[in-house]
Amino acid sequence: MSARHIILLADDNERDVELILSLLSEHDLPHEVIVSRDGTETLDYLYRRGPFSARPPGHPTVVLLDLKMPKLGGLDVLRVIKADAHLRVIPVVMLTSSREERDLAESYQLGANAYVVKPVAFELFRQALKQTATFWGAVNEPPPIH
Amino acid sequence: MTEGLDEKGDLSCPVDAPRDTVTAPSPAPSESQPAPWLARWGELIALRWNPLNWKIETRVLTGFALVFLVLLVIAGVSFRNTNRYFENSELDARSREVLQFLNLTLLLFEESDLGLRRYLVTADPTYLTAYENARQRAPVHLAHLRDITHDHQTHEARLDRLELVITQTLDAGEQAIALRQKRGFKGVRHLVREGIATAQLNEIRLLLDEMGKTERALLRSRGQESIVGTRSTVVLLSIGTVLQFLLLSLVYYLIRHDIDQRRRVAAELQHRGEQLEAANKELEAFSYSVSHDLRAPLRHIDGYVGLLQKGAARKIDDKGKRYLQTISESAKQMGRLIDDLLLFSRMGRAEMANTPVPLDQLVKDVLAGLQPDIQKRAVSWTIGQLPVVRADPAMLKQVFFNLIANALKFTETRELAKIEVGSILSHDGDAVLYVRDNGVGFDMQYVDKLFGVFQRLHRSEEFEGTGIGLANVRRIIHRHGGKTWAEGALDKGATFYFTLPLE
Repeated sequence: MSARHIILLADDNERDVELILSLLSEHDLPHEVIVSRDGTETLDYLYRRGPFSARPPGHPTVVLLDLKMPKLGGLDVLRVIKADAHLRVIPVVMLTSSREERDLAESYQLGANAYVVKPVAFELFRQALKQTATFWGAVNEPPPIH
Repeated sequence: MTEGLDEKGDLSCPVDAPRDTVTAPSPAPSESQPAPWLARWGELIALRWNPLNWKIETRVLTGFALVFLVLLVIAGVSFRNTNRYFENSELDARSREVLQFLNLTLLLFEESDLGLRRYLVTADPTYLTAYENARQRAPVHLAHLRDITHDHQTHEARLDRLELVITQTLDAGEQAIALRQKRGFKGVRHLVREGIATAQLNEIRLLLDEMGKTERALLRSRGQESIVGTRSTVVLLSIGTVLQFLLLSLVYYLIRHDIDQRRRVAAELQHRGEQLEAANKELEAFSYSVSHDLRAPLRHIDGYVGLLQKGAARKIDDKGKRYLQTISESAKQMGRLIDDLLLFSRMGRAEMANTPVPLDQLVKDVLAGLQPDIQKRAVSWTIGQLPVVRADPAMLKQVFFNLIANALKFTETRELAKIEVGSILSHDGDAVLYVRDNGVGFDMQYVDKLFGVFQRLHRSEEFEGTGIGLANVRRIIHRHGGKTWAEGALDKGATFYFTLPLE
């Protein structure tokens, strides 16, 4: 299957993953959601190496990137993606618990395409995810395939 | 309401707290109790005259003033002594001249007497030279002696006498010469034998001798005086030098001590600054991880409750649904608390901008941001003319947001909420701004609690909130160098004041 219908969710917290997957399933998106559990795994997926060496080529439609992850953090992953001539076209949405000024600043500095805060209130979280997934998965036109 | 809190006793406010410092409409309340002024003055004087309490500048200045004073005294005394010494030398020279003239005068008359006698015996006029000499020179000598001893009264009396005796002597000589010419040797034989004016000559000797003695005594006493003066100058100079040395040492010690102290304080300050910076960094790291890690579990609680409510709705009875609702609300409340605390902490640490802020525009922005809350309500707004102040715009926006949101919240029970935002010019040139409402107000007894962290005067069922808003207002205003206070009465509305430096 084409990787162009894939949402890559990079989050180390299984509860967040479960909640996000559950909320995403509420909407009729034609996407498969692939979960990577830390920064290294995320890069492995994007570079098709390690456990992902056999995956079909192509970029995900969007990467939902958690900021705080063990080993390689979200900002490190973002830095690698945006420094790579091939990967930099992938839309990256930072999905994180807080809107700390310096995270916000650094994310955009590094070239993040959006910055979404995961609200504590479930209803707000649901709306935020719905809007994010709908926009980046359906409304937004992804970059053309090289 | 406040009565409820009173019963619980968790807001027992000390009644004698200095309430007027917070409630007075004037931003700079004056001292309320004037102490007995006399005792205070006494204390003040005791304080003022104790060198230990002096500022270092005063101490050093006093030290130098003392050194200068000692220098002045030494210079004065030395000058006087030296002057006296010079005066004495001059007087000594004159005394010596007097003595010399006394001798010369005596010699004059001795020689004149000797010459006269020879003339009386031989009638050789060449022997009269000495007499003629004495006759001519005596007045000159007398005049000169008078001149150089004019300030000496004993001398004057003696000189008067001397003049008389000299005249008599000279007259006697003249008579003797005339007698010799008229009667020859026989006529003056008795004079040759007994002397011409023996008594007068003796008196001249005596007078001149007395005057000599007086001058020599004067010379001696002046010599003594000069020695004493010189000695006292030397002693004074020695003592003065030692005293100067001591005083200068003391001043040096004071300055040195002060410098040491300042260095110590500077080092201590630097150390504290470093500690503070480290603590600040730690706090920042702490609040960073709080904002990430404390929120996640709360999101999970509310998230799973949400999933449960959706997925197992039919299996849960009404009681269970209420429990789930409570869990959800508590999690959200905690989320708000964390957000507010983080904001509070950030407002205390964040670097402040310092730009001119037109408050008119700022309040308009805040009201625009509050539109969703305002639209459902009947609110009568009175926005006065607001000044331009120097401040951090983002922080000030937070202040107005908190105060106006509070006003909206506590007027919820009113049919028509009246909210007024205005400014007064304070007497010390700062702007006093206020936000007034006609809401539920508060009991002035608890005014001190208003601006504290997590302090609330209402139960959370009545008015929701975290109890950080006003603490944040106070913190921001304090960081701008302003003051905050409030006035209100139960059920009669409240007014919140703060001051800001004008642009």
